[in-house]
Amino acid sequence: MNTNSLTKLFNPTDDHAALREMVRSFTEREVEPQALDTIEVKHSINDGLGILGLTAPDEFGGTGLPDATAVSIVHEELSYSDPALCLSYLAHSILLVNNLAVNANDEQLALFMPGICDGSKIGGMCMSEPNAGTDVLGMKSNAVYDSARDGFILNGTKMWITNGTLTGKETGDLFLVYARTGPRRGQILLSLWWRKAWRDKLGMRASPTAELVFENVFLPAKTHVVGDVNGATLCMMRNLEIERVALAAMAVGIARRSLDEMIAYASNRPALARIQKHISESYAEYMAGKCYLYAIANGLDLSTYGNGLDADGVKLYCATMAKNVADRAIQVMGGYGYCGEYTVERLWRDAKLLEIGGGTNESHHKNMARDLHKLDGNKLE
Amino acid sequence: MRKILVPIKRVIDYAQKIRVDPSKGAQGVQLKNVKMSMNPFCEIAVEEAIQLKEQNKGAEVVAISVGPKQCTETIRTALAMGADRGIHIETKPDVRGDYIDLQPWAIATLLKGVVEKEDAVDLVLLGKQSIDSDCGQTGPLLAGLLNAPQATFAANIERGDDGSFTVERETDTGTETIKLNASGKPAVITCDLRLNTPRYPTMPNIMKAKKKPVETISLEDMVKELGLDLDEVLTPKNEVVEVYEPPPRKEGETVGSIDELLGKLKEKGLVA
Ligand SMILES: Cc1cc2nc3c(=O)[nH]c(=O)nc-3n(C[C@H](O)[C@H](O)[C@H](O)COP(=O)(O)OP(=O)(O)OC[C@H]3O[C@@H](n4cnc5c(N)ncnc54)[C@H](O)[C@@H]3O)c2cc1C
Repeated sequence: MNTNSLTKLFNPTDDHAALREMVRSFTEREVEPQALDTIEVKHSINDGLGILGLTAPDEFGGTGLPDATAVSIVHEELSYSDPALCLSYLAHSILLVNNLAVNANDEQLALFMPGICDGSKIGGMCMSEPNAGTDVLGMKSNAVYDSARDGFILNGTKMWITNGTLTGKETGDLFLVYARTGPRRGQILLSLWWRKAWRDKLGMRASPTAELVFENVFLPAKTHVVGDVNGATLCMMRNLEIERVALAAMAVGIARRSLDEMIAYASNRPALARIQKHISESYAEYMAGKCYLYAIANGLDLSTYGNGLDADGVKLYCATMAKNVADRAIQVMGGYGYCGEYTVERLWRDAKLLEIGGGTNESHHKNMARDLHKLDGNKLE
Repeated sequence: MRKILVPIKRVIDYAQKIRVDPSKGAQGVQLKNVKMSMNPFCEIAVEEAIQLKEQNKGAEVVAISVGPKQCTETIRTALAMGADRGIHIETKPDVRGDYIDLQPWAIATLLKGVVEKEDAVDLVLLGKQSIDSDCGQTGPLLAGLLNAPQATFAANIERGDDGSFTVERETDTGTETIKLNASGKPAVITCDLRLNTPRYPTMPNIMKAKKKPVETISLEDMVKELGLDLDEVLTPKNEVVEVYEPPPRKEGETVGSIDELLGKLKEKGLVA
């Protein structure tokens, strides 16, 4: 078979091939050796690779690759060894850095971007609330304008915030927070307080998740409000698209690793003919997901909005695909697969998050059925 | 300091499992569809050259590789790490980059030509060996051909203001310090594992590296340009007779006590 067209799909340019090569060797040498110590909340996204600010403009300290393919490559490669580390990387580089890069003005970029690109500051994004996850626009957090101080007073509680705490004690450094400014929505930027960190999650244990509580936090209007005061819904929807593509890329990384583990295990035990089905179906599904992912990523422009159908679709397919592939890997490896040192049980737990975070499967069903309905009787291409 | 020349070799990646096809005889080590990267000792040499450049403003680091088309990627890695320009002596696609076809003698002969042609080379930094053929000959051969001062297995390198290089080498009996006096010839130093930890090329530097110049010249043209004899350079001096996979490990024996272990070892004549 000529594998050239696949290579081109997965690495469209030399830069992409070099990026994959670089992150893969970093992952092999630095990420993999620590990936099994994931019981405790730890934090180790700090590197001299220039990937924290991957999509941010270079004049503000970023790498200047505003490119969904590059994003996918990094997430796929990191998740091959450590999906939890990758989730924290995603919260920082996509939810915080990329959202700012697309939506903030130059003054804000100059103020906030260099620190979050060089890793001296680590943060994330606060959208979900205790009673507003899938129904995110039902959020209660609010920002009230104070004309005397020309700023907003923020109150509210944000739930399940990745990188909400880095140490288990203090809050992370910088967060984008969505809050209600009235009947419509505003988007606001700040840093603040931490209350509680979860340690006993099903998976993603090495990625800190916290609840953040805001009590009368003052946000200067000039520097700490991103975009139009009532226009943040668009920022949110646009950034959710690349977030979903990145989560799909994590799924592809998890699937590739699970396959490698299954194949290696089976090749030492040639008698295990009954697992052929597990391995072959996993490979076919992995390739289908990976092709869908890069086909979408290669065409996604991060500055646009309206690519929801396939951003939802690729995450919907890949998340469940990764969970199933990890599940089969456990099955193939039997008791070994169920136990920690064989990696695949961790991947299975981590993969489950992808059916929830960044939008539950059901929210994708809802969005996609709606978008497909809009075809108005026109047939698919 | 003027120029530092760093010859780098593209080899099977250190983490790859080597596959041997017994039907191919001496050519049995498979190179197709195998991940290749820069020889780890060459990475150390590139890192050292960049550090020396950082300490000695104005120095130019030139990475050079002999081998097939894909060696350009290896050179780009060196450029992304911080080398200034590259020279690629390109071989025909059917020439193997490992010991079978390109032996240290050929590489050292070519490098000598390049050093003389480049002029103003103060230092040639090489890996102490390449992990595919483990010869460790290229550096010493080059120093011999150039009649230049050399130090092998460097664990530390300092440059003196007088153009000398002080090299520490770790030997079985302790650390040895050698000074390579400035001689008008480039110093030739081969790098050991503990010399430094090579940096990762950052993504911005990978992108900038694309703008750095790489001169590609065919092996045949280079040989002509250097006034060498193609057969003399390319015909391997040594022939690889056989290549085979290490035999699988035999199952061990369990012993009940240290005395029993010693008994068995004595029986086999492994301890006195
Ligand atoms: C490890 C982890 C990290 C996270 N990181 C972040 C972060 O950094 N920032 C952030 O803002 N959030 C984060 N989240 C929150 C995440 O985005 C939400 O958990 C997710 O959106 C689901 O919301 P929920 O938990 O409130 O579930 P709910 O919305 O309560 O959903 C519960 C169930 O009901 C279904 N459901 C709900 N509404 C509908 C509907 N209208 N139609 C059909 N089915 C429906 C859901 O599909 C699901 O099955 C994180 C979550 C986790 C677990």
